[in-house]
Amino acid sequence: MARCKPEQNQTLMALTSSALLLPAYQNAIADAPPDFTQLGIRYSQYEEDDISSSKAVGGSSERYKVDITQFHLLAPVSDNWSVALDVQYEDMSGASPWFVGESFEGDPKVIMSSASIEDSRTDVSVTTRYYYDRGNAGLNYTRSEEDDYESDAIGFDAAFNSADGLTTYSGAISASSDDIEPTQGSVPTNTLKDEKDIRSAWMGVTRIVSKRGIVRFGLGYTYRDGFLTDPYKLNDKRPDERKEWTASTGYRHFFVGQNAALHTDYRYFDDDWGINSHTIDVAWHQNLGQHSQLIPFLRYYTQDEADFFSNRVDFSAPYYADDYRLSAFGALSAGLRYNYSYSNWQVNLAGERYRSNNDWGIYGGEESPGLVDFWRFSIGLDYAFR
Amino acid sequence: MKYAFTLLLITALCGCETVQPWERGSLSKEEMAWQSDVMESSLQNQMYTSKEASSGGNGAAGGGCGCN
Repeated sequence: MARCKPEQNQTLMALTSSALLLPAYQNAIADAPPDFTQLGIRYSQYEEDDISSSKAVGGSSERYKVDITQFHLLAPVSDNWSVALDVQYEDMSGASPWFVGESFEGDPKVIMSSASIEDSRTDVSVTTRYYYDRGNAGLNYTRSEEDDYESDAIGFDAAFNSADGLTTYSGAISASSDDIEPTQGSVPTNTLKDEKDIRSAWMGVTRIVSKRGIVRFGLGYTYRDGFLTDPYKLNDKRPDERKEWTASTGYRHFFVGQNAALHTDYRYFDDDWGINSHTIDVAWHQNLGQHSQLIPFLRYYTQDEADFFSNRVDFSAPYYADDYRLSAFGALSAGLRYNYSYSNWQVNLAGERYRSNNDWGIYGGEESPGLVDFWRFSIGLDYAFR
Repeated sequence: MKYAFTLLLITALCGCETVQPWERGSLSKEEMAWQSDVMESSLQNQMYTSKEASSGGNGAAGGGCGCN
């Protein structure tokens, strides 16, 4: 790349407004408060496929359906502050796997919770953010309430840009206190009342690597302590602590000719329950004229089984779980998003199909009959008070 | 895996070109953001986390939920 003489360089720098000093930490979090208030509402439907009669005792059974309503508000408060409010309400119903038994032929089969579970969740999150010359810092409080679960979490994050704006160093910490009080009546529960705590830390480096490319690396650690057993699963008994590590990377590239951006992300996960996993996300953000954007996306996920996972219960073992979420499997998810902007409004549409299968994973392990497939559809409307 | 990740990190951070502020127009586009849609990302993270054994990778964990 051509080098400027010092005086030329100074002139160019003087002509360059601070707005062009894009930090590498180019995210939903910018280094200045938003110029105007932004408001968004989203409605989504999530529906799991029925479990087939070949995998469940007593024939096919409906699984979970969830209606989700989200609200997002981001507003400038002063030259250096912003505040964000996020509210999510979920209305859930359906049945979930209770335990895994055996058919007459000796095959593992799921026994579903007989009564339809009805529950709702309200999640309210408030974030205040301060913007300084070379970065920003945010403080967040989140409360989540369900009939049988309550969580209070606090989080802090900060980002700091290098003097040339090419590199951003960021970090985040969080702590939560969760209370579990399972609803009585549908199935016997593993506890009447219990609690758990979650402590988590994350650090990342983001770097501009070319005029069109930006890369990010992150390392995370999470410690869970307390009642980690699923209270509604018959024989479930899990360790009362869990240590998790993540290593992640992502790359964004803008293609001028195609007027589109490529998003690629990878995450490696490892924990002390014997689970490790790989996740790959790819998305293509295609601009269509001035107002529209089409975003096809694809996700592949594969995980190993937990050390104590089995389809056959062992009462002598200290820990046991037949939860499909702790089994070895692979999952493919594909979807499409569409955004249309006009004046201060934007309409958002999204659809996604998720399928999982023991054979699609890279790890060997028992196949759980409870693996889940689902559909998700969303529609939303955003407004900017320009 | 950990060594490969460290090697990738060092290579990427050392091997990049110096991009001047006035050359960063493409990088500042909305579609280049790490998280282009806050509500969409939040929903997807929750769906995957409640159906899989893994979580995290984009920040601190925050609180839990009884999602089944």
